[in-house]
Amino acid sequence: MKNLLYKERRLAASPLSYFFLAFSLMTFLPGYPILVGSFFVCLGIFYSFQQARECGDVTYSVLLPVRKRDVVTAKYRFVLEIELAAFLLCAVFTALRMRLLGQAAVYAQNPMLNANLCYLGFILLNFALFNLIFLGGFFKTAYKFGVPFLIYTAAGILLVAAAEVLHHLPGLEGLNAPDRVDAPQLAVFGLGLLVFALGTFLSHSASVRRFERLDL
Amino acid sequence: MDKILDIRGLCKRYPAFALKDVSFSVEKGQIMGFVGRNGAGKTTTLKAMLNLVHPDAGTVKVFGLEFGGHEDEIKRRIGYAVGGMSYYPRRTVGEILAVTRRFYDSWDEAACRHYLEVFRLDEGKRLRELSEGMKVKFALTMALSHRAELLILDEPTSGLDPVSRDELCDIFRQLAAKGVSILFSTHITSDLEKCADAITYIKGGELVASESREAFIERFAAEIGHRPSFEEIMVHLEKEALTL
Repeated sequence: MKNLLYKERRLAASPLSYFFLAFSLMTFLPGYPILVGSFFVCLGIFYSFQQARECGDVTYSVLLPVRKRDVVTAKYRFVLEIELAAFLLCAVFTALRMRLLGQAAVYAQNPMLNANLCYLGFILLNFALFNLIFLGGFFKTAYKFGVPFLIYTAAGILLVAAAEVLHHLPGLEGLNAPDRVDAPQLAVFGLGLLVFALGTFLSHSASVRRFERLDL
Repeated sequence: MDKILDIRGLCKRYPAFALKDVSFSVEKGQIMGFVGRNGAGKTTTLKAMLNLVHPDAGTVKVFGLEFGGHEDEIKRRIGYAVGGMSYYPRRTVGEILAVTRRFYDSWDEAACRHYLEVFRLDEGKRLRELSEGMKVKFALTMALSHRAELLILDEPTSGLDPVSRDELCDIFRQLAAKGVSILFSTHITSDLEKCADAITYIKGGELVASESREAFIERFAAEIGHRPSFEEIMVHLEKEALTL
């Protein structure tokens, strides 16, 4: 697995997957749907899949002395590395924003979702959608990724819309608190964590099964 | 002799094509030409040997092992190359070697250096800058550096000029003398004349013959009326009347 991951980083990965981690900085933007930053992170990962397909990466990989299922697992681990890096960056930026800038007027009066635990929960939900829809969809054929990415994009837009609407509902205003953590935020974060873990696990299991059955 | 590769009753059905009950074997140090027209089922058969295609029926044994449970072990001992195809065109020879060598405990760096030199491969060159012949030589370098005992080559000579084809046949002969078994698919009959010890002929997904080169020629000598060349045998087997 270590060697396959090395292969992912050295041969298959697009530099854009790493450059797009910079979109985590959108965490600091006021008056903007900052969850879009995590969508751009997924777009960066998409470019790696595009590059890998154009380079015959899947065929090269399955002919290496590894099991076919390990090829799928290595792709998932590469994606998880990028998602984890993005999540940690967003978490650090969120903590900075809440601790040092929480009282700033641009955040205190921000009509859009503020960076807090609820935001981090939605990032995990977004990554769960990507892993379920895009990764799961890609491994049905191991070369068609356009439709899975389009479906993920539609689902991602709905998720961003839900994140922006939810904190305007009566009783859920606390979801948008710029400088404190409350129970509803914790609930969204917990839900994000659960869906991310479960969704990624299910997606990986289905992808391994599908890829084993594929004629390449 | 040791059977390095043994295929029995291989069947695979597609909507417009079917591979029917294909059986043959390759022995240690043997060069087998796998022959047939385009679309005869050569690539499907080769892919089934590599577990890239799942046969509907039949067995594939490589080094006496089946893929189930021995996938990585088998792949560690074989080398594969496809003519006209390369991976990671923007990466350099050196970059691909640096990654590939990590997967093989048996990697022989001295052998790798040797073949890079013999084949005049520049490690700094990107794959897209290599000619078709050089790409095949690069695939062979990787296979030989991990001491592959069986080379499965899908049309390795397609797209090569006559000199490169001749050179490749010489390489095959030298490798076979060292005990490497080679199965190469082709529809270029002159390659068979130069280096094949045995011929497996496939037509429309069905096996026509799989035997030594001499036995194969003898089989058709009576039908054709003289000792035929491989080209004459292929034309004899495949020519259909065309009405324009």
